[in-house]
Amino acid sequence: MGFIGPNGSGKTTTLRMMMNILLPDSGRINLFAQPISHEATDRVGYMPEERGIYTRMKLREVLLFYARLKRTADAGRRVDQWLKKFDLTPWANKKVAVLSKGMSQKAQFIAAVVSQPEIIILDEPFTGLDPVNQEVMKDALIDLQSRGATIIFSTHDMSVAENLCDYILMIFQGRKVLDGTLASIQDQYGDDTLRLRVEDGADKLAHLPGIAKLTDLGQIQELRMAPGCDPHQVLTDIIQRTRVMSFEIVKPSLHDIFIRIAGAEAREANHD
Amino acid sequence: MTKLFILAAREYIASVRTKGFIIGLVLAPIFMGGSLIAFALLKDRVDVTDKRVVIIDHSGRIAAAVTAAAEQRNAHELLDQESSKKIKPAYHFEIVKAQADRDVQRVELSDQIRQGHLYAFVEIGARVVHPTEDRDASTIAFYAQNPAIDDLRNWITWPINNQLRKVRLEDAGIDEAQIPDLFTWVNVDGMGLFSRNQATGSVNDALRVNEVEAILVPIVMMMLMLMMMMMSVPGMLQSVMEEKTQRIAEVLLGSVRPFQFMLGKLIGGIAVSFTTAAIYLIGSILLVRHLGLERYIPYDVLPWFIVYMTLAIIMFGALSSALGAVCSEAKDAQSLTFPVIMPILLPMFVYFPVVREPLSPFATWLSMFPLFTPLLMTLRLATPALIPLWQPLVGLIGVLLFTVFFVWTGGRLFRVAILMQGTPPKLGNIIRWALRG
Repeated sequence: MGFIGPNGSGKTTTLRMMMNILLPDSGRINLFAQPISHEATDRVGYMPEERGIYTRMKLREVLLFYARLKRTADAGRRVDQWLKKFDLTPWANKKVAVLSKGMSQKAQFIAAVVSQPEIIILDEPFTGLDPVNQEVMKDALIDLQSRGATIIFSTHDMSVAENLCDYILMIFQGRKVLDGTLASIQDQYGDDTLRLRVEDGADKLAHLPGIAKLTDLGQIQELRMAPGCDPHQVLTDIIQRTRVMSFEIVKPSLHDIFIRIAGAEAREANHD
Repeated sequence: MTKLFILAAREYIASVRTKGFIIGLVLAPIFMGGSLIAFALLKDRVDVTDKRVVIIDHSGRIAAAVTAAAEQRNAHELLDQESSKKIKPAYHFEIVKAQADRDVQRVELSDQIRQGHLYAFVEIGARVVHPTEDRDASTIAFYAQNPAIDDLRNWITWPINNQLRKVRLEDAGIDEAQIPDLFTWVNVDGMGLFSRNQATGSVNDALRVNEVEAILVPIVMMMLMLMMMMMSVPGMLQSVMEEKTQRIAEVLLGSVRPFQFMLGKLIGGIAVSFTTAAIYLIGSILLVRHLGLERYIPYDVLPWFIVYMTLAIIMFGALSSALGAVCSEAKDAQSLTFPVIMPILLPMFVYFPVVREPLSPFATWLSMFPLFTPLLMTLRLATPALIPLWQPLVGLIGVLLFTVFFVWTGGRLFRVAILMQGTPPKLGNIIRWALRG
């Protein structure tokens, strides 16, 4: 499940409440169909946004420590398996302080998943990782999911959420504003987006009748149609202005939906 | 429970496996007992430069005897008998007549001392032999650059008073030879108390009590406990602050309760102190026994030492951990270390009157104040004085209550503050967090 929302909307606070680290002012949290408890959170792996790992301990020792805190059976073997999986075996007896940033992020990830938790909560797991390590992390998540784990992670990268998540939840200003599968969310917004490529770029598309918003993505432009607007009429208008290289009617991207909910226009509307 | 021990074990291993711990283990006793060691090493290093002293004897009956005693001393006491090395300075006295203008003479002699030509001058009052007749004219004054702590001044007191007694006997018409033991000095020995052996009914002899037993042993016990506390308590503040600022605390709190987290640190800290205490205590006992001084080991105090030390580390450790949790940066930790260390160090300012008179009301009541009890009660118990059993027991109850209060308050503060970033640790905030929990 992807947990999205603008900065300061309460994602980290929600995740901390799910881990029983913070207590809610009101309301109730159930975990495994039971009121949340520390026994239940032993079945949950957690990686906070700002990585916290003892830098003066050796890598294998610190991972064993976290594994044992989660009452992991056969902790040593599991740690060794994960170190091998992430190519960290040569660093097992080195202090965490000497690891690169990417390596220590992988170490932090191992600390969260080594206990084979049923639920894995990751706060911004891909932040700061290079593309190679992002792929390693994605593969690991997919592998864990295929073995039955439920994975909840927060992210600012909408493409990651679109590609990895079966279910997406968005909060804004402390409230849930969106939840469902990507398709069901996109259905809520309908086919109101035109994606096209024109010869003379975005300048020729300005002030088209029936268009609520123009987004210039460089080689491609996106047009959001106002309610009741006819896409055929829009295409006709564009052809009169410039030469059209490609044209398709698409559902709005998650990025676009995010901007519609939490962007400047939405904030202004809320203030009004 | 298992998690608690996993946390405590990590804390313990992280502390004792560092080079800092090993270095601290070696250096701490050196720093703590540094002055004693320095004193032992340097006590024989005295200035052996000969000293020239002028005597103005207004009585006319003392100076010659002092000069004779000095010559006797110079002839027999200056060299080490085995190595023939000079170990003491020679004293050369010069008898000078008093001038009409005493003040002019005094200033001239003082100037000579300032210029280094003279070490000191002594002025003996005219009526010194019979001081009760005229107090003002019977004083003996020793003038020097640093007269308060001076071996020569201490030495000269003996030949002057010896000669005074002889002169007084002469004036009374008594022949000194008739009373051969007249000047034989007899010391008063400090002895402990007699007791009766409950099994056999026989009387146990009172034992001689010396300065080592009365002062050194209690101070060593107290310093040892202070060392144990200083090796673990301030470190807890620093380590919690690091775990908070490096966000390690957040990961741990996903697995353990804040109170477990704090308790794990305390147990780890106690284990570190026990390790250190075991090394020092066993090492000291073996060394003292090897030196044949086993009677100085206060075995009966050791259980109290262990109990008080454990509670003190829990009490101050809880405070230290809680204050570590309110810190958001290293600067905060620096300023909050002081209120943690202060109550630990305060007993050091009052230990001397306590060890000198361990049964005084001052010592008794001060050692009952729970923050001071661990150090001061151990200090009192280690003296030869018989401390009534109710006193360490009442002290123990006080320390237990304070420990419970500190752990409870510290736990509340810890729980609130450990995830709070950027909020300055002002006194108002700390009190509010502790009260509201």
